[in-house]
Amino acid sequence: MKAETKRVFLAGVAAILACAQLTACSGGTSGSDSSSSTSAADSSVADSSSAAESTAAEDSSAADSEAASGLMSSAEIIKAAADEGTVGNWGLGNEYEIQALLTKYGLPTDYITMDFTMDQFDSDSVKLASAMTYNELGLVKNSYDGGYGYGDDVSIIDMNDEGVAMLEDNLFTSKAFAEANPNTVKAFVSASMKGWAYACEHPDEAAQIVFEAGSSVSADHQAYMATEVAKLVTTDMNDNSVSASDVGNMDETAMQQTLDLAKQYIILEDSSAKDKLASMTLDDIRSTDYLTYDPATDGAPEKTSVSVQLKWLPQAQFMGYYVAEAKGYYDEVGLDVEIISGGGDISETTAVYNGTVDFGVTWVSNLINANAGGMELLEVAQVYQRSGLVLVYKNANYTK
Amino acid sequence: MRSKKWLGMLSSVGLPLLFGVVIFVLWQTQILHSWMGTDTITLPLPTRIGEIISQNNESIGSQIKMTLIVALGGLVAGSLLGYLIAVIATIFRKWGAGGLTIVSAFNAIPIVALAPVINNWTRDVSNEVSVRSTMAKIIVVTISCTAAMSVNAFRGLTELKPFSEDLMKSYAASKVTVFLKLRLPNSLPYVFTALRVSVPASVIGALVTEYFAEDTVGVGRQIRENIVKGQYPTAWAYIATACAIGIGMYIILMLVERAVLKRRRA
Amino acid sequence: MTNAKPAQKGFLPALKRFAHSKKMVTLVWILGIVVIWEIFAFIVAATKRTPVNVLPHLWEIIGSFFSDKKVTGKMTMIELIGTACGETLSRAGIGFLTGIVLGYILALLMNLSRVVEKIAFPYLMIIQMIPILGMAPIILSITGDINSARIVIAAILTFYPVSTNVLAGFRSVEREKHELMYSYAANKFQLYTKTLIPACIPYFFTGLKISAPMAITASILVDTLQGGNGLGCMLSQSLKGGMTRLVFWDIVLISAVIGILSFVLMGVIERLLCPYKRNRTSD
Repeated sequence: MKAETKRVFLAGVAAILACAQLTACSGGTSGSDSSSSTSAADSSVADSSSAAESTAAEDSSAADSEAASGLMSSAEIIKAAADEGTVGNWGLGNEYEIQALLTKYGLPTDYITMDFTMDQFDSDSVKLASAMTYNELGLVKNSYDGGYGYGDDVSIIDMNDEGVAMLEDNLFTSKAFAEANPNTVKAFVSASMKGWAYACEHPDEAAQIVFEAGSSVSADHQAYMATEVAKLVTTDMNDNSVSASDVGNMDETAMQQTLDLAKQYIILEDSSAKDKLASMTLDDIRSTDYLTYDPATDGAPEKTSVSVQLKWLPQAQFMGYYVAEAKGYYDEVGLDVEIISGGGDISETTAVYNGTVDFGVTWVSNLINANAGGMELLEVAQVYQRSGLVLVYKNANYTK
Repeated sequence: MRSKKWLGMLSSVGLPLLFGVVIFVLWQTQILHSWMGTDTITLPLPTRIGEIISQNNESIGSQIKMTLIVALGGLVAGSLLGYLIAVIATIFRKWGAGGLTIVSAFNAIPIVALAPVINNWTRDVSNEVSVRSTMAKIIVVTISCTAAMSVNAFRGLTELKPFSEDLMKSYAASKVTVFLKLRLPNSLPYVFTALRVSVPASVIGALVTEYFAEDTVGVGRQIRENIVKGQYPTAWAYIATACAIGIGMYIILMLVERAVLKRRRA
Repeated sequence: MTNAKPAQKGFLPALKRFAHSKKMVTLVWILGIVVIWEIFAFIVAATKRTPVNVLPHLWEIIGSFFSDKKVTGKMTMIELIGTACGETLSRAGIGFLTGIVLGYILALLMNLSRVVEKIAFPYLMIIQMIPILGMAPIILSITGDINSARIVIAAILTFYPVSTNVLAGFRSVEREKHELMYSYAANKFQLYTKTLIPACIPYFFTGLKISAPMAITASILVDTLQGGNGLGCMLSQSLKGGMTRLVFWDIVLISAVIGILSFVLMGVIERLLCPYKRNRTSD
């Protein structure tokens, strides 16, 4: 009898103990998700309606287009979210455009760090969330595997429209490598850009190529991504179209805008890096010498076996390189190319700097940052002609 | 006798210091770099690191505070939880021992990998980022400190001196008395053994959880930001800071251990 | 504890014996954790839009592991995790072995010379304190290859428990034994091979039992530093929305199982190598 009761009691203790390990972590999951979010939304509406008069006039174009749908203007939304502290970004060098935008509206540049999912957006802990048009935005809108299925219930604020766009995915190498192997660089750039041009004309085929190359992203999302990336490569910051033959071109104004914003928003604690950044010019970070390659006059590549590290996971964001590989463009110029996926904390700038890889794909701002730190890196092609970064919000949170 | 003890103390402080000086000189003169085949950007010179620390001591100080809150909070919570589990396991011996095996199996899970998910778990706790983020970080550190304490404290509570338990029984001491007068003091050295493991673990845990936290603060976060952005000298300033936090906490632990155990022996 | 009684035959007594055994205790614990997990999973499933990102049901995790749906362009879950496991475990294995050898040699050196011990000990501590993230770029620039860098880091993170435990083992040999060997006119080599090394074996295995799971978790962590193949790479890709979140949960579960198995494996090896462990029944 005694043993019996003791056993029952013990089983209870066992359960409680196991609880202690798990509850500590999951406490609150059953919390009132909906009630907290509605009350927060209420307060933000109240906050911004008072600010509406003062800021709406400044940004009339955005206000006009959105007034019809009953949404608040971009300016109101940004202010409301910033006051509430629910603007999100990933940090780690992705935050400069958002900080420039916040500064434009006279707001503090704090943001919530987003993990690389849209969970925080989904749960309303980040209401104005950073998203790339070709990746996170697709996941938020669509309902395929991994998607959140919001469809048209979400809207975006585009960095290009706001005038705070910075150039993103480029192709770079180290200055030392470019000097030692100019033909290799030229050959790699021209073959890669040929791949990009083809990919932008045939996004569906490009998506399939990337998917078959072992991408982990679902085929549906890959197809979405390829179409969106093609738009970034063939449209510039002012919505003018860029012809496929110009892929890789470095637009002087866009580059300068990127550098200027970078100088303003890259905060460095290292005084010598700070000085270097302040005096940096476009010539310190890019060279247009490698955009064309003519084997007959230039000669054969010095180094034939090269590697390129991507900025992120293997996906259609980098379709040009996968297409160039699959279509044999690299073979045509006598190169054997290994594509290495990124996304870890040893960034592509570090990997190219210390010679682990020969080429890298990064954002221009990250290259500027690395060069300020003393890495002698050189951009040799600019693939994306406009910013792919947007802030996405749920319409329901910002309806008048 | 006394001078010999002094000599021992001197050599255990002096020798590592001397070695440190040698390393410093090799590092500063870049001989270390040529041995390792690295350069002054990947491994910045100590003077440069020192310069950055001294130029930014205010902001570094505030980052240290955030990291310390997480590390100490998790350490205390984890140790208390671990000790509590050990006490319960001592009372219900058969079931407790089995439970401890399970708890120590938690050590085999890469707990830091759980950090991003734990962010999801604390999402509804507060609308304030700093509150829910700090809580998520402390939870991770707590979990990583629990196992060491519960396993060690359990040993301390149960591995008594031969016959001491029988002696207590012959005095007709109650279970509570046995616990307070015998088991509890006996577990003290084991508690310190556990702390020697969990103090460094708490610091490393705090740094790593900061990598994934929602709130953009802390020494760990600064290390990651600067490494990813290629700002190695600044990253190293924070790495040096992180080491200093860990070593500082360890030294304090040693001093407390010495003081407590000495008084007990006296 | 039931060994003392004469063994009874039949189904019921066997069941009864099982109910009193240690296995039963562990089983109840595991069941308890499963139940708690499931309770929370049900709550999460009822209240969240994307429960798989917060806490999925255990059966979803296990089911996804055996599902023949492709999670990447080429592979199903079991293929993906299988290849990733192979990569990570081989790196963890090499790193672990290197770590053992290094740790053992260091312990020997520290035991041979007080000076080495006094110098090395604080620096061993400091090395453990340096975040992997800071160490990795340096090691990468030395090795020039991310996979060898991963092995080196796994070795660095695992040798500390081995060397401290082995050193404690050497120290555990009583003075009398030293003097006995001395009276036999044993030289230093004989002292080590006949007395010290056998004496430290149990301590050595204590070190191994701590560092084997550490080698695996460390390898998973260093995997996340860069792309490529490995459990950590897949885990971080899954967390970054690259593939279904179930990959993450599968890897967490698998890594826990591997970690525990590595611990058990060290115990088995110890029992095989050490006769005293084999003969003595567990008490």
